[in-house]
Amino acid sequence: MWLRSVFLKTLRDYRIPILGWGIGMGLVVVSPMASVATLLSTPQAREQLVGLAATFAWNADVVAVDTIGGYATFKIGIFIFLIAVWPLLAASRMLRGEEDRGALDLLLSVPRSRLVVALEKLAAMWTALLAMGLLIGLLTFAGGQKFGGGFSLADGLLFGLNLALLCAVVGGVALLISQFTQEGGTAAGWTAGLLLVFIVLDMVHRVIPNSEWISRLSPIYYYNRSKPLVPSYGTNAGAMLLLLGLTLVLSGVAVWLFARRDVGGTVPLPRWLRGPAHRASRTLPVGDWSLRSVYARSLGMIAMPTIWWTLGIAGFAGWMIFAVQQMEARLSTLFASSPTVINLIKNIGGGDARFNAGFLSAMFVLLPLFLMAFAVTQVNGWSADEQDGRLELLLAAPQRRLGVLLARFAALGSATVFIGVITLLASAGAAAASGLTLDVGNLAAATLGMIPLGLLVAAIGYLAAGWLRTAADTGLLSFLLLIWFFISFIGPELKWPDATLRLSPFYYYGTPLLHGLPLASVLGVVAVSAVALSLGALRFVRKDIGV
Amino acid sequence: MTAIIEVEKLTKSYSGKRGITEVSFAVEEGDVFGFLGPNGAGKTTTIRLLMALLHADAGTARIAGLDCWKQSLEIKRLTGYMPGEPALDPNLTGGQILEYFAHLRGGVDHAYLKQLVERFELDTSRKFRQYSTGNKRKVVLIQAFMHRPRLLILDEPTSGLDPLNQQEFDRMVFEARNEGRTIFLSSHVLSEVEKTCTTVGIIRDGRLVRIGDVAEVKAIKRYEMTITFAAPIPVETFKTLDGVIEVEALHNGHGVHLAMQGSADAVVKAAARYPVISLTSYEPSLEDIFLRYYEADSPGSRETDHVA
Repeated sequence: MWLRSVFLKTLRDYRIPILGWGIGMGLVVVSPMASVATLLSTPQAREQLVGLAATFAWNADVVAVDTIGGYATFKIGIFIFLIAVWPLLAASRMLRGEEDRGALDLLLSVPRSRLVVALEKLAAMWTALLAMGLLIGLLTFAGGQKFGGGFSLADGLLFGLNLALLCAVVGGVALLISQFTQEGGTAAGWTAGLLLVFIVLDMVHRVIPNSEWISRLSPIYYYNRSKPLVPSYGTNAGAMLLLLGLTLVLSGVAVWLFARRDVGGTVPLPRWLRGPAHRASRTLPVGDWSLRSVYARSLGMIAMPTIWWTLGIAGFAGWMIFAVQQMEARLSTLFASSPTVINLIKNIGGGDARFNAGFLSAMFVLLPLFLMAFAVTQVNGWSADEQDGRLELLLAAPQRRLGVLLARFAALGSATVFIGVITLLASAGAAAASGLTLDVGNLAAATLGMIPLGLLVAAIGYLAAGWLRTAADTGLLSFLLLIWFFISFIGPELKWPDATLRLSPFYYYGTPLLHGLPLASVLGVVAVSAVALSLGALRFVRKDIGV
Repeated sequence: MTAIIEVEKLTKSYSGKRGITEVSFAVEEGDVFGFLGPNGAGKTTTIRLLMALLHADAGTARIAGLDCWKQSLEIKRLTGYMPGEPALDPNLTGGQILEYFAHLRGGVDHAYLKQLVERFELDTSRKFRQYSTGNKRKVVLIQAFMHRPRLLILDEPTSGLDPLNQQEFDRMVFEARNEGRTIFLSSHVLSEVEKTCTTVGIIRDGRLVRIGDVAEVKAIKRYEMTITFAAPIPVETFKTLDGVIEVEALHNGHGVHLAMQGSADAVVKAAARYPVISLTSYEPSLEDIFLRYYEADSPGSRETDHVA
């Protein structure tokens, strides 16, 4: 049934993202509902919550944040970039990715017009986004019911639809840009950059008076016009229709261009926008450092993603330090009136929430999570290289299998150390600039202590790659990350036994910002990583390659 | 001459699915060995076992006296390999790929490498992802030859190459052979094997069904002969002769069309008793021989048949 048409086949390809992204994003919406429910116990706490949210007003609309629905809308507004990641990647690869693989040549050889093929694929992506929106809407409604949200099922579904529409616009942008780029990754990069511009444009009117006209240039502005989870604010049908219209126009132009350009080529740019013409050459590169060994090549491959992840992780750490310093007064009042939150921060951060370091410690637990996510993406690359046959020639060169595996792992290890060190420097710099006093030793422990956790994920991924194909390996690691996250962040609140909490590596990371590096625990994580890597290596040197 | 490749009852299956079964053969040093078979016959499996990319279920494979699995590193030093479906980092240029593999091999003669690049007219500045199928194969082919290996293992090397580059490849094989190097190449392009190889192995359904010199394999040919006579002759005379498989009368008994195998001596002597106008023999192509081994599931084809 799923192979009857291009539409169904594409939808079939999206089935795992629909479930994974839909449920994952649904949980991202529901999570703040759980935490805010405890913050709304007293009028003082409500007031402080509103004040605290106002600190982030430049980032997202502060509307009825003292309600379950309002707070969830506000929180998702802060993390809107995260929501748009899937459509950005999927749309940039939708046609361009298939062209890269040469799969589109065959598909377009069947008696079906190019326009129809593109439209069927586009319809499948929209259907996937709607399905994700439906899942997010249902989970949001369920969360609202559980925590007393006070909004209806229709409101939840409209919230999901609004998100889906914004995602469709981002997808439309990516699809359009991919008509001008030779590679899907380039289109994704440009779209991500544009998305950041859209986010900044949307922020402008919150920071600069009388600048709403600038924010109107961003589709995120129109997304924010609707807040279905805040019944008093409601849904702006006009804004939603505008998002729909934008989606249709962007995607329509993209499909129109696709139907007219060369398959495998790009829409010709004006002469002044084109790069220098390619000149055939028979020269060989000399002195390229990244070609000298498997390790150097592995570093070369990982360099760009490492830089981006470093910017994200180190930037987040630095930003949190600045934000905590600015929120100091409000936080102490808020926490003083909310014992539940104090407990939550204690459970996660390991210290008294009334102190900056305590709150910061809770926030810093996210750093190893990010680093582990980075490790997942790199394990995915290792597994895909074997699956796609890219290890075949490498292993036919006089290189030991063990050496190849360890070189790749060492490059990943070097990248995690780089991220850890830069995060330490960024955090120390932010602390010095903001005047926040932090123990340097503990700060080093908090930033460098995440490295073993990144290596643990990588080692488990390398081990699993010995048996699993790329998608299953990545899925397993993502699942483990999710489970560990819930064990460490929700488990203590639910009074889970210590034995269960010990199943999560975050347990062994501890609260280094307050209590320094738990050396024994870290060594334990390193030992488990070493065992996993050894087993993975043992498997790799004996296994059939590419089978 | 000594055997550089020795394969003995090599067996490999994939989770119960057939790969190859008890394949045995030897390739002499300096030989150009053509490994023939249709898709899925087991050519690539055999090659990947030789390159230690797969682990054999049973049997042994040795190259230059070294065990293919246990001493694979030493083997890779003296081997140049070209996979059937080359996959490399799509973001590297052809030049970077060649440079990278030159480093992994501990350095190569750059003058020779440049000469290979020139011979194949490869644009080394393009990214691998931007190459056409033929150009991708050129990169991998150059990579296999660039360190002047003692043994070249090439999986369908000319697939995707244009005729000019195929000719260049033929010349390179010829030169390598003249230098005493050994080439093991798989193919389903029979004319290519006929042209470049000295020895041929035919694999079918995971089993080696025939191995021998190209000339020897041709000698077991089932060929055709047409003889035209000045007067009608008794066609039945030819039916019982040695080597004759089928007889067809032509031109009201003025000629015969014979399907034959083996020596033509008896036929020629029988024909000489009558006034012969013309005699035409159709040399079989390897294609004909190849097809013969795959046209029917004859029990005889189950045993490896060495031509003597």
